[in-house]
Amino acid sequence: MAFEFLQSLTDIEIVGGLTVLSLFIGGIIMGVGIILARTVRLLFSKYYAPKLPQDTAKNFGKLIYFGIIILSFLVFTSTTGVDFSGLLVAGGIFGIVIGFATQSVVSNLISGIFLMMEKPVKQGDKIEIPGSDITGTLLDISTFSARVRRFDGTIIRIPNESFFTSNIRSLSSTPVRRSEAIVGIAYKEDIDGAISVIEKQIRKSMVFVLTLPKPEFRVKELADSSVNIEILVWHPRDDWDQVGPKLLKVVKNALDNAGIEIPFPQRVIWQAKD
Amino acid sequence: MSDKNSESSLSNYGIYTISENLEFTLPNVEIKIEKMGEHVFSYVRKDAEENILKKIIPIKSSDLTIELCPIRPLNHPARRTSHVYLDFESPIFLSEGSAATVFVSCPIEIGVFLVHGKHKDSLDCFTCDPAHSRFCLYGSPESGTLCKYTKSEIVESYEDSTPFHNGILKINIKNELDHGFTISKIVFPISENSLYYKNSKTIIDSLTATLKKKLALEIIDIDANSIQIDWTRSPTYEAIESVRHMDMGVD
Repeated sequence: MAFEFLQSLTDIEIVGGLTVLSLFIGGIIMGVGIILARTVRLLFSKYYAPKLPQDTAKNFGKLIYFGIIILSFLVFTSTTGVDFSGLLVAGGIFGIVIGFATQSVVSNLISGIFLMMEKPVKQGDKIEIPGSDITGTLLDISTFSARVRRFDGTIIRIPNESFFTSNIRSLSSTPVRRSEAIVGIAYKEDIDGAISVIEKQIRKSMVFVLTLPKPEFRVKELADSSVNIEILVWHPRDDWDQVGPKLLKVVKNALDNAGIEIPFPQRVIWQAKD
Repeated sequence: MSDKNSESSLSNYGIYTISENLEFTLPNVEIKIEKMGEHVFSYVRKDAEENILKKIIPIKSSDLTIELCPIRPLNHPARRTSHVYLDFESPIFLSEGSAATVFVSCPIEIGVFLVHGKHKDSLDCFTCDPAHSRFCLYGSPESGTLCKYTKSEIVESYEDSTPFHNGILKINIKNELDHGFTISKIVFPISENSLYYKNSKTIIDSLTATLKKKLALEIIDIDANSIQIDWTRSPTYEAIESVRHMDMGVD
């Protein structure tokens, strides 16, 4: 009975030698292929991915999944016995049309592949894209876009093409970073004394400032109202928030406690006699 | 005299079983453990700046057992590295082909562990010397190694450990170079060294530092050696992680 049913399916031809039975078998092959792809990807992500870098593991996972799907499709086409050459020609022409229409999509795809190969930054890195006001943690680089979680908690999606062609500043590829601040002291104050006071306070209260290299102090400018001193301190790369935003506060408190004047701009106006 | 008095009033390292209340007095730090209920204790740590840490500890038994012991100086102000940079107050000169053994001070932190059966869980860690718990960079900003920094004194023996502040580390130094050399610092991954305690003193596993040539470069090759001693070995506070061997260049 079942045999007769299958025999009847072979007799029903859909198009160009493609029968219902071969389509049915092809469907089973594709189904098995998808289940296999998912299982292998699951096993890979459970047993092997933890040993690899996060982004490499993700790319390998995708490669395995889509590789098995494509293989299943090739098996499906070969079992059906359908001649796809005509379809390929038509597909080629159609592809050119689609290519022109979706240039940016293809460009993002290609840029994504190059980004995965070049790896200018990796998942989890803190990055800045100068000129575009984007600073944050790179979440991932996917097929068409990269996602960055900004420090205000929002997530921004950047098309791969624009990410690939931008200048990218990595904030976490070196073990340490430097923060700077400029403070002005009055002309009457002793510069060395002020520097000594600031240095002592930084050493005392800023635990993440490195002992070596030592904090550096430069007289930056003899400005209109003050002698401007530039302060450069190094800290571990992940502790910018413990140093950068607090540096000026520490410096001001140190100068206030030592009675060193931080002048405000002053202008002397001479009034001409009539 | 006053120093001796203050030292004698300090608590000792060790395993304590607490049925009601217990207080530890350490330099700049006070710890109070109190029974709150049948199976609940409170743990309160107060430092010199009046910062207070409080934890509630529910337990199965009626007594609380804790271990107070020295741990590696890697957790304060934050866990960032496994390397320690010992900057010698007095540099050591070794002539060609000579060898020497020195005892140097190395900072420690204090760990509190909850003991249940054979297991010891990390409950708290702190430093009694926060003013000197700082980082430094060994090498260039692009490829250097972040280290915990300390000025290190050369001392006479293991007995010179300052309670709750530092432990003593023995370094066997050998000069295999064809000229004399002055060593002013040692950088090494302390995660390979165990700590041992007795009363309030601490010893750290020893190091072997060999000055030698590797290809065209002069380096100091540093290895950790475990020591055989009847002092109690401290449990490990931080998660163990493998550290890449780093050749320390001479300069």
